[in-house]
Amino acid sequence: MSTDTEAGTGTGSGTTTPSSSINVESVRAIAKKDFQDAVRSWVFWGLSIFFFVLLVGVTGTLSYFGEDIAAEGATTDMLVLFTSEITRLVIPLIALVLGWKAIAGERETGSIKILLSLPHSRKDVLLGKLLGRSAVLSVSLVVGFALAAVVVAALLGGFDVVDYVGLLAMSIVYGVAYTSIAVALSSLTRSTTIAGAAMVGVFVLFYVVWNALQQAFELLAQREILFFDTVTYTFELDGQEVQSERLQDWVYFILNVDPGEAYNRGLSLVTNTDAIEAQVQLNEQMFGGELPFFLQDWFSFLILLFWIVVPIAVALWRFDRVDL
Amino acid sequence: MPAITVDSLTKSYGQTLALEDLSFTVEEGEVFGFLGPNGAGKSTTINVILDFIRPTSGRVEVLGLDAQTHSREIRAQTGVLPEGVETYDRLTARQHLEFAIDSKGADDDPEALLERVDLLDAIDKKAGGYSKGMEQRLMLAMALVGEPELLILDEPSTGLDPNGAREMREIVREESERGATVFFSSHIMEQVEAVCNRVGILRDGEMVAIDTVSGLRDSVGNGTTLRVTVDRIDDAAMEAVRSLPDVTEARLEGGDPPVITAQVDGSKTAVLGELEDRGIEVRDFSTREASLEDVFQSYTTETGVEAR
Repeated sequence: MSTDTEAGTGTGSGTTTPSSSINVESVRAIAKKDFQDAVRSWVFWGLSIFFFVLLVGVTGTLSYFGEDIAAEGATTDMLVLFTSEITRLVIPLIALVLGWKAIAGERETGSIKILLSLPHSRKDVLLGKLLGRSAVLSVSLVVGFALAAVVVAALLGGFDVVDYVGLLAMSIVYGVAYTSIAVALSSLTRSTTIAGAAMVGVFVLFYVVWNALQQAFELLAQREILFFDTVTYTFELDGQEVQSERLQDWVYFILNVDPGEAYNRGLSLVTNTDAIEAQVQLNEQMFGGELPFFLQDWFSFLILLFWIVVPIAVALWRFDRVDL
Repeated sequence: MPAITVDSLTKSYGQTLALEDLSFTVEEGEVFGFLGPNGAGKSTTINVILDFIRPTSGRVEVLGLDAQTHSREIRAQTGVLPEGVETYDRLTARQHLEFAIDSKGADDDPEALLERVDLLDAIDKKAGGYSKGMEQRLMLAMALVGEPELLILDEPSTGLDPNGAREMREIVREESERGATVFFSSHIMEQVEAVCNRVGILRDGEMVAIDTVSGLRDSVGNGTTLRVTVDRIDDAAMEAVRSLPDVTEARLEGGDPPVITAQVDGSKTAVLGELEDRGIEVRDFSTREASLEDVFQSYTTETGVEAR
């Protein structure tokens, strides 16, 4: 994917040298500039309005069709459930679109030389960009959620603040993870075309490949191809013990590495949404009452943290070593 | 301590050699003109000086510091006008300058800086609507932030009209008087000869001449270039012209009718007489005093004289 030439042998630019250090002031200055750059465009307001419309739209639909749900007092639950189904798909798209040109675009137009003519390190630039772009997505989420809160409260006649803020917080973490992926990939090339292709690749990876993985694994397990196999477990259904089969533990680990999956599981922890918790309980039976640690809700935070830290860390390491 | 020391610098991209064993120094306080045709390796050299790219071998020191390991410190004391760069479309000139001032921890006034580069009236307009010349003025203003010890200006006249180019040279002079070292690249001799103390001429990644402006001027001598348009020409006549004692070099430019150019030290009538004696009709002729431009031409074209 990379079109760069690795820098030559040179005189050895170790990561401990002052030039490649991280300076908080520099990171802040770049993040601020990057945010200003984005806020000036329609993108920021467009996103805020989008999130507003999304929340109001879901709430409106719920209050129109969902009188039964409302009677049970579960409307915020439903709002979180339905909204998260949409944001799970949309937030990655937004983050990838916001981030794809972050570095590649500046290298293509040469404006990265403006940044790096000033006393910033390349690491400062990457982190500043990640912060700036994350801020655009996060602040527009906050603005959209805040504006919608009033309407949601009016339509639903009061709502669960914990669930609502939980969804917002989880969405921000999820957005930062995808922004990290986008900015990191953008730093690997000086062609925005290649960077764009990489973004499509990421989306396809998690939404087509990962979704197909479960079926693929099931197929392989049923036929016991290679090292794939099934595990038999029993669960209670209407007071009767039923035997069923599931995939091996490690397969579930792989399926759960998807940031979208982690987003969903994380939501069940930060919100009290019954509908999401119900799914989780069903899973517990498959593992004899207790989920392996990597399927527990807290682990999904680690997965999202992984997707925030690892892509940008790889980019920080590599971007220091290339010719611009 | 020299402001810039380039020592045996080589940079290759795969099979292509962009710079070959380049060495030169820029002294503190001087205005150094870094001259060469497009593609000679000027930007590559500047990119190594600023640590945008890494050398294949050799090393560069700026302000006494290693260009690679101490790049941040170097850039804190350096103002740069990069070449072939677009400004940020959605930011105004004021925001650009605030960013530079913020980044350098300086306390300059954006208005004063834009006044200097004659862009004050566009201070709150977004750079997306700027002409190339306005972008160039903005980037020059950004380079001036924080009264840098060293100014690196890569093709600063790009996109500027003659008036803008003159203003830019005026700023270079002011900065030099303040005590700054100016490293100034260009592919046009005219723009560097007026302001530079010394000039280095780069060709195909190698320094072919490096001297003071007056030194380079002396190297041309008092020669005159004579251009003669004739009705026809033959090898024998060309040979005869070349062998005239006052002629140092003669070239057939071709064309129809053919044109001969000759470097003449003394009488030009000898050339015209020689041609007419051979029955060749001189249709037109012109003379031109040798300029630094000719030095540049001779160093940077294939048929040029060898480096001294």
